[in-house]
Amino acid sequence: MTNPIEINNLYFKYNANSDYILKGVDLTISKGEILALVGLSGGGKTTLLNIMCGIIPHIRKGEINGEVKLWGKEIKDLKIIDISKKVGIVFEDPDTQLFLPTVEDEIAFGPENLMVERKEIGNRIEKVLKMVNMEDYRYENPNNLSGGQKQLIAIAAILAMEPDILLFDEALAQIDDDGKKRIKDIILNLKRGGKTIVLVEHHIDTLDLADRVLELQNGKLREFKGW
Amino acid sequence: MIKGFKFDPRTKLTVVLCISTLGIIINDIFSLIFILVLTFLIAKFFHVNIKRSFKNIKKLLYLIFIIAIIQSIFSTEGKALLFIGGFKVLSTSGLGKGIQFILRMMIIIFSAAIIGTSNSREIIQGFVQWGLPYDIAFMVALGIRFLPILTEEVKDSLIAIQLRGIEINNIPIKKRISIYSYIFTPILAGTILKAEKLSIAIEMRGFRAYYNRTSYLVLKMSKWDYLIIFISIILTAYIAIINFTR
Repeated sequence: MTNPIEINNLYFKYNANSDYILKGVDLTISKGEILALVGLSGGGKTTLLNIMCGIIPHIRKGEINGEVKLWGKEIKDLKIIDISKKVGIVFEDPDTQLFLPTVEDEIAFGPENLMVERKEIGNRIEKVLKMVNMEDYRYENPNNLSGGQKQLIAIAAILAMEPDILLFDEALAQIDDDGKKRIKDIILNLKRGGKTIVLVEHHIDTLDLADRVLELQNGKLREFKGW
Repeated sequence: MIKGFKFDPRTKLTVVLCISTLGIIINDIFSLIFILVLTFLIAKFFHVNIKRSFKNIKKLLYLIFIIAIIQSIFSTEGKALLFIGGFKVLSTSGLGKGIQFILRMMIIIFSAAIIGTSNSREIIQGFVQWGLPYDIAFMVALGIRFLPILTEEVKDSLIAIQLRGIEINNIPIKKRISIYSYIFTPILAGTILKAEKLSIAIEMRGFRAYYNRTSYLVLKMSKWDYLIIFISIILTAYIAIINFTR
């Protein structure tokens, strides 16, 4: 069976740097798995996540060697548009992910781009707002929400696209305990639905939902044995 | 009908287009005053908060006045009104042109405030349903969205400077300009970085994934919208014809 993500002997360095940030990363993630990545700041976790969703090498450039495959296809050969249909990523900063005047517009944006039917978009908006417990904010301007609420909307916007792989880049950092619990439940539900999830996290309390926790150290992945 | 009624953004765009056109083609000062008064009334009709709009553009109004004065100084035709050292500083024609400029700018600004009563998504949809490609309408709206971000960046940087003990309002203008030049680079770098992150987020949400896209929001015009569009176009055409045939 083809795995959603397969990485073999991956080396990467940014054009501006002389040193490789990833030095021989090997990783296979199976369908329905939750993988957590930990490591020091600047260790390359976000870079690895950006490679998994094609931002590198398609948008951000650098020297990349090795194999990165999504469902058996080389990421270099896939267009970013095709990747976006299958992979959803939630970034750390919600302010650079929200750009429309209402929460409803924000959530509808992704499915609209994917040519989902109007009625189905309406259903998805209702569903994801209920999931993140933000139904009362449907017609609010995202700019008027708190950081945590904005992040919940950013997550809802990605969930509405129903991607097969979900990447969370420290996306839970700004969310309060209640919100975190809710998101953890959502992630577990998504896993049950066969979605593949990769979390980049610093907080130890979020790691308990992961099937595997790997640490990125000195550009290589290894089993995480605690801080 | 008016209370609680939401006009279609296309109606507002048509009205703004008509008022701005009149503001540009008419030269007579009294007619421009009439158009400005009409603009205020129409803006009020569309629930524009005139007082708040005045507050928002206060600094811009100063700039408009300065430009009008400069324009009147360099326009030397007509009877001289003010001499400084034998040099004609203000003439009847210069004064007229200055007033015309102020009135025109106010007509354009306050009519544009009518568009502000719809959100950017509705305006994008209005343009799209008029036949403009979504990509272009979306990019224009995104550009407008960036203006408050830029203002926020400037404010944050100025606060950071003030927290380091510099009273920006109490220092001489020359020094103030040099402080502004210091913060210019980080603001520009920060804005470019934010723009890049935003564009990545947009791409990762399937922007341009297909040649077409569906739209959850669909605008529908009511009979009142059609009526207002009809009246606006007829009235604009009438005033324009009168203006050109007089």
